[in-house]
Amino acid sequence: MAKSAVELTSVGKVYGDGAGAMVALSDVDLTIDPGRFVSLIGPSGCGKSTLLRIVAGLEKADSGTARVHDASVEEACAAKLIGLVPQTPALLPWRSVLGNVTLPQKVNRGAGQRREQIGDLSARDDTRSRPDMMELLRRAGLEDAAHKLPSQLSGGMQQRAAIVRAFGLQPDVLLMDEPFSALDEFTRESLQDQLLDLWDELKTTVLFVTHSVSEAVRMSDTVVVMAPRPGRIVDVIDIDLPRPRNERMFAETRFHDYEDLIRDRLHTAWRSADAA
Amino acid sequence: MSTVSERTVVQPSTTQAALPEPSRFSLKHPKSRIGWVRPGVWLPLAVMLAVLAGLWQWGAAAMPYLLPPLPAVGETLVDDLGYYLSNALITLFEAVVGLAIGFAAAFLIAVLISELPMARRAIMPIAVVLNVTPLVAIAPALVVAFGFGPLPKLIITALICFFPILINTAVGLRSVPQQVLQVYRTIDASRGEMLVHLRIPNALPYIFAALRIVFPLSIIGAVVAELSASGSTGGLGTVISVASSMNQLAVVYAAIFVLAVMGVLLLGLVTLAERRALHWHSSATD
Repeated sequence: MAKSAVELTSVGKVYGDGAGAMVALSDVDLTIDPGRFVSLIGPSGCGKSTLLRIVAGLEKADSGTARVHDASVEEACAAKLIGLVPQTPALLPWRSVLGNVTLPQKVNRGAGQRREQIGDLSARDDTRSRPDMMELLRRAGLEDAAHKLPSQLSGGMQQRAAIVRAFGLQPDVLLMDEPFSALDEFTRESLQDQLLDLWDELKTTVLFVTHSVSEAVRMSDTVVVMAPRPGRIVDVIDIDLPRPRNERMFAETRFHDYEDLIRDRLHTAWRSADAA
Repeated sequence: MSTVSERTVVQPSTTQAALPEPSRFSLKHPKSRIGWVRPGVWLPLAVMLAVLAGLWQWGAAAMPYLLPPLPAVGETLVDDLGYYLSNALITLFEAVVGLAIGFAAAFLIAVLISELPMARRAIMPIAVVLNVTPLVAIAPALVVAFGFGPLPKLIITALICFFPILINTAVGLRSVPQQVLQVYRTIDASRGEMLVHLRIPNALPYIFAALRIVFPLSIIGAVVAELSASGSTGGLGTVISVASSMNQLAVVYAAIFVLAVMGVLLLGLVTLAERRALHWHSSATD
């Protein structure tokens, strides 16, 4: 069996110290197998974004270890194993869409070699070639926008460009921090579809932070429910629904059963946190 | 919280993109290049200029020792055009080369202090003190030290231009949005790569804003240095100081007029360069 894509072992993180200290994460264990789509869901303050930032190498855990494909997070970043889609598109306004999505390939060129040295990934390397970014843009419906500036695009198109930028890296782990939260309902649903399409073909591991229960159920193989004070994992729920998941699925009772289950877990966690 | 604002942004930008933009040569364009043919555009300015010229002439008639009549100023400009132009070139050279030196120094130090917090703590206090010091007051001392050649003029001009460029560039280098930096930190982009691909392009609008301020300042620096070095061989500042000592008011104002035209031309050049370099930035079209 292949090694896990992401492995967190009793990860803890505290902000501040003394009486004002805030425990963002307490003793979090999480293992994600390669190719899984995993969502983190929970109320604000439950540490889901902190967890993502630790895996992204943007913050250090105070205790415990975080490993990506059995390498440290720093090694994983240096080998470009990780792609990040932040909450805002974070495109460079002076570069065209094509220029934006190709820039990550131009930086840190030594990453390919470092990647081969990471245990279980070297075998897969022969099959990987530079992705055709125009093709990826076309699949995301951005063909006509390739030579436009980000400011000439709608918010939804900008976020799609940000997703293409991340997929263009062919990351082994794709981290998404509430990528659709700033979009309107219709745009969000069409982007969810497109993300699932791309993911279906490229089968990368996805860690997806969201605060929408239906988004989590719709997208994920596994939903990780988190609770605040201290930030911790309260439940891990596998979503056993067939893919591809389309609009008809919204009508199915199983879909709503999962939603109800997750809402119930969230409420329980919320009440217990208030009581504490 | 950002949901609402993002939503409202989405709609207008798509509809605007669909509308064809009228040509720059069409009168419908808000910034049409031939808009000046319409009286509504040029008349207010023309009337204002006529009123000012009338006031000037009245003042010149009432106080001949304070103001020269405008025709006299025009006369000396036309008659001695070569004299004014050759002196203008000297001042222009001092201003532009001094500015280039100040720019190079300010840009390099801005990069240094944005990359090294230690350098920031060492340099910024000195730069602030330099900024609050009235630099024109250093001019006589520099003339004593470096003589009547171009060197003291270049130093003054460079010093005057230094601070606005330093501050603006440093702010621009540091104001790359956090989430952009995070995307590139996650793929372990080096500091050099971040500087070249993210920080410097991000600083460009700030740098151009600084240039708009320092181009006029550079002329001030050059003229003040010339005025302080009363034995200078050339430059419009020298023309002014020599002519005023001989009470030739028409020559003084002719030289001032040439300086003003020079300033306008330089500002125009900056604006042109800004439009080309910052076509992606909203300020460039203002």
